[in-house]
Amino acid sequence: MINFGVREVANSRATAAPGWAYVPDTGVNASVTALQPSSRTRVRNQPTASLHETTAKQEAKILRELAALDRENHRDVLIPVPIRHKDNAGRVSHGKSTPAVRKILQSQKTFANHLSDFEAFSSLPAPSQPVISIPATPVVRTTPSTAVPTVASAPHLTSKGTRSHKKKDPNAVSTPTPLRKVSTASQSSTPLPIKSEPSQDIPVLDAPLLSQGNSTVPTPHPGDKDPLLVSRIPIMPSREEIEQLLAAPPMTYIEARGPWVYEDRMKPVRQFCEVCGYWGRVRCKGCGGRVCALECLQVHQEECFNRYGA
Amino acid sequence: MAPPRRTKSSGPPPPAKTLVLDNGAYTIKAGVVQADAETPAPSIIPNCLARDRDKHTYIGSQLSSCNDFSEIVFRRPVEKGYLVNWEAEKEIWEQEFFDPKAKLHCNPSETSLILTEAPNALPALQTNCDQVVFEEFGFARYLRVTAPTLNAYTDIQSFFKSPARDPNSTAALPAEILMLIDSGYSHTTITPLLLGRPIQSAIRRLDVGGKLLTNYLTRLLSLRQYDMRNDTYLVNEIKEATCYISQDFKADMEKTWKGPKGDRRPVYETGDGIAKDYVLPDYHGRTKGYVRDHDPNAATKLKELVKGKALGASEDVLTLRNERFTVPELLFSPTDIGLRQSGIAQQVMDSLSALPMGLWPGFLANIVVVGGNSNIEGFVFRLQMEIRSLAPAECIVRVARPADPIVNTWQGGANLAKEEATLANLSVTKQEYEEYGAGWVAKKFGSR
Repeated sequence: MINFGVREVANSRATAAPGWAYVPDTGVNASVTALQPSSRTRVRNQPTASLHETTAKQEAKILRELAALDRENHRDVLIPVPIRHKDNAGRVSHGKSTPAVRKILQSQKTFANHLSDFEAFSSLPAPSQPVISIPATPVVRTTPSTAVPTVASAPHLTSKGTRSHKKKDPNAVSTPTPLRKVSTASQSSTPLPIKSEPSQDIPVLDAPLLSQGNSTVPTPHPGDKDPLLVSRIPIMPSREEIEQLLAAPPMTYIEARGPWVYEDRMKPVRQFCEVCGYWGRVRCKGCGGRVCALECLQVHQEECFNRYGA
Repeated sequence: MAPPRRTKSSGPPPPAKTLVLDNGAYTIKAGVVQADAETPAPSIIPNCLARDRDKHTYIGSQLSSCNDFSEIVFRRPVEKGYLVNWEAEKEIWEQEFFDPKAKLHCNPSETSLILTEAPNALPALQTNCDQVVFEEFGFARYLRVTAPTLNAYTDIQSFFKSPARDPNSTAALPAEILMLIDSGYSHTTITPLLLGRPIQSAIRRLDVGGKLLTNYLTRLLSLRQYDMRNDTYLVNEIKEATCYISQDFKADMEKTWKGPKGDRRPVYETGDGIAKDYVLPDYHGRTKGYVRDHDPNAATKLKELVKGKALGASEDVLTLRNERFTVPELLFSPTDIGLRQSGIAQQVMDSLSALPMGLWPGFLANIVVVGGNSNIEGFVFRLQMEIRSLAPAECIVRVARPADPIVNTWQGGANLAKEEATLANLSVTKQEYEEYGAGWVAKKFGSR
């Protein structure tokens, strides 16, 4: 087949056909999905029972508005580089540009273009690209001594930090760190079984990785030994663990996008009056837009054309 | 007799000057640092080509000579935090750094470069960047580093109010443990840094930045008062002058509601101090707008005042009420505009959830916010309050902002530039680039 050296790349989503066509404006376009990706691995595994299901129409409206908020200028403008600078008059010459550089300088690709290029290439089954093989939450935890559930398996941990924190193995070793002022207090009075453990548990290597701080140890208090007051200090990761964390390759642009965590999905979305910005307590019958009270509803209905004849 | 062969480690002498370039989407923070001289204050250069109403184009710092910002349009080479358009960026760099008359003039072949990028950049863009730096400009030595990383090279403990420090103690750089929140023009990123290196698997990005806030304010003002859609520059100034982050969103909302018909709330007019007037510039007599407390009778007074006078005596006023706090609120509650992400505080917790629990106390006690958005009044307090409520109760939560959050990244870069040994270790020289190629360079910077 003659294809003039053009290689078709498998694309993750259908792109709009070139030229033009009459299509309903409810679909998702490339620049918009960059803002609000619809299907992403990180999101995929979380429960989707949200309280605020939106219709396709509302969804399209939100996406359109977000795309508008992402614009640089209200209108499309083209600001060419001033011509008087194009020749090197009065400039330091950097020598002749190589073809590769010239290509970069002439490229008018936008970030959205680059992003979809990247997506297309990473969907190719290429073993030579290590970047795409990162799991969504590349958390490597190898603590054989603790019974803490790995973070990767428990998305709820995200913000229920308090709860999981207390679930910790009572035998967890307290390491003196400068990072916790609490630690110094309980350290002086840790019960015997805990004291005996560090020798087996924490490699000596661990000590110099993070400095041990120079804050003064508070004076001992008789209540320190009270089992109710002893704070449990999570175990410091070993040097290898930290090295492993630091050595992890960067995530891709899309993977690094912050999630919409479960707790926040469960909360009702706040609605605001489209006219004055107060709470949106009333819904317009015609378009479903929110307003605060009758007065704003009247203002809204003056220009509410969403339903024919409404 | 031939001179003794140099070992590889000695190599050619390192360049004496370092150009530290924090190449942000909105402004470039730049300065030339020399090892033995005092660090100069960085220049803040708008990173854009701008065109005003009269079709005059301004490049970078020329924008300061502009005195009519109405209907000005911008072209920014950095898009979403990443350097995309080299044609425009080269033009700006040429003018600011390589022009013999430029204030920060430097000869690339005798200078090393520290260039920042946003985390999680696309590999194609990184390669482009490396190529242009070496092949087009020919810098002698080059370090491409994520912007949050450089903040570890500033004395972060001095930003925190407590505990009191020994004033004579000097901080060892880089900082051991630091949770950096960089809220800039394009987005907000959360980067945990350990020993001056980012933990890549825990970096999170919230797609709310200064641009989105400005555009949102533009939309609200255009819907409610004047059409400001062609004056985003002005709206940005209004945003910077008036917006604040509410400590009690619901209460502030009540204060700024006019109430239903026939039951007007008396507090509405002044909004208990929330309502502010922004006097718009007319670009004749007044080139800069200013804020003043809202005066309910201003309109009538003004009418009296300008009766029978020339047109120039009048003034246009925007009254801001709930716009002042609902706009920056998006940083903490992006779902208000339908953006399906959690707010900053929750993103910090999500980032922590990717880390071993032993490190949580350290990160929570060393949170630093940088970037232009952290200048919004009440930002640090609210962030600390929200993280406090999400974090484990035993952990100490400290959130601090450097004295100048916009140039803090640059400052870190300047400190790094003075530590020749560390810098040489991290950077890539032109010889190395020519010898090992672009792939090797990408790998070297990628592993940091």
